[in-house]
Amino acid sequence: MKNIVYTIFAISICLTAGKILYSFVGGLPASLYGMIIYCLLLQLGWLVPNKVHKANQWVIRHMGVCFIPAAVGVINHFELIKNHGYSIVVIIFFTTFLLITFIGILTDKYLTTKSKPAPTSKGY
Amino acid sequence: MLIENINLVDSLILTLLTLVLYQSVAWAQQKWQLIWLNPLLITIVMLIPYLLLNDINYSSYRQSTQALNALLEPATVALGYPLYQQLQHIKRYWKQLITILALGVVIVITVSFSLTMMLIHQAEIAIALSLKSVTTPIGITLTEQLQGDSSITAFAIMIAGFSGALLGPSWLRLINVRSDIAVGLAIGSGSHVIGSIILSKNNVHQGAYSSVALIISALLTAFIIPLLVPLLLPFFS
Repeated sequence: MKNIVYTIFAISICLTAGKILYSFVGGLPASLYGMIIYCLLLQLGWLVPNKVHKANQWVIRHMGVCFIPAAVGVINHFELIKNHGYSIVVIIFFTTFLLITFIGILTDKYLTTKSKPAPTSKGY
Repeated sequence: MLIENINLVDSLILTLLTLVLYQSVAWAQQKWQLIWLNPLLITIVMLIPYLLLNDINYSSYRQSTQALNALLEPATVALGYPLYQQLQHIKRYWKQLITILALGVVIVITVSFSLTMMLIHQAEIAIALSLKSVTTPIGITLTEQLQGDSSITAFAIMIAGFSGALLGPSWLRLINVRSDIAVGLAIGSGSHVIGSIILSKNNVHQGAYSSVALIISALLTAFIIPLLVPLLLPFFS
């Protein structure tokens, strides 16, 4: 319970700091500044990774529900899908495979020999 | 239903309905381990007919569920933790990794944006499709900041996720890309969390590398896209 409060507090502080930073410099969205600040404070040891671990994993596992209000907006785009649905799917498909091919080949060529043992999966 | 008709009860009912639908599908997916039982996709497929039948328009729905939307910001901040975890692993080769992923981001944004502007001629759709390789919370946040259409982003991200995760590994074998790090980074940057889940089932190392790629690529995209889109836009106006 204490760790849940700690995590909520940590995330709120970072989000607030992100909003303040955004109001001064603009640029990235406030929540992304918050994400970077959160990462930085963990790295510096100002926040304790072990304390946020459990509650943070819970947030990540359940965050999908926050995307629904935005995604339902597709309800206003039936016309667009009727007219351009095929083009949209083809563009997504083509560019996804372009990216996969590009990263795959480049990594195979320049990173494989220097790669270290694989990091462990943290299950997110 | 008009916006002014929204009351607290409607708002509670719609928010609760969304939560219950999502949780039920998430539970079913966990139970049966079926990747296509994607909670986001299935919830939307069930919600849209409900909204249409009850004559609830999108702006009322969005207003009613603003509590859920407001949680997107803290949820995005929470991604700082996996970012922190992954940074510990890439210390030895971060320069090559960031160079390769940044090049990938530049190429995918440039090609997606240009193709969409040529075929569909709508900037907000072009922005949405440029962000389809990014993990959903960051994709939606960036789309809204650039005044793109975030509902298209959400769907594009799902299509990119499924197509790359299901067909990507076989395609990479076909073009003779076989090392764990190459497959992991490629699928992670193209198909984000969906790719990561599928890879992790067969090969833990590939899954871990895909997690590295998805979080680092998302961060690089956040820095690159606000600079790149204004450069591309004049070519199509």
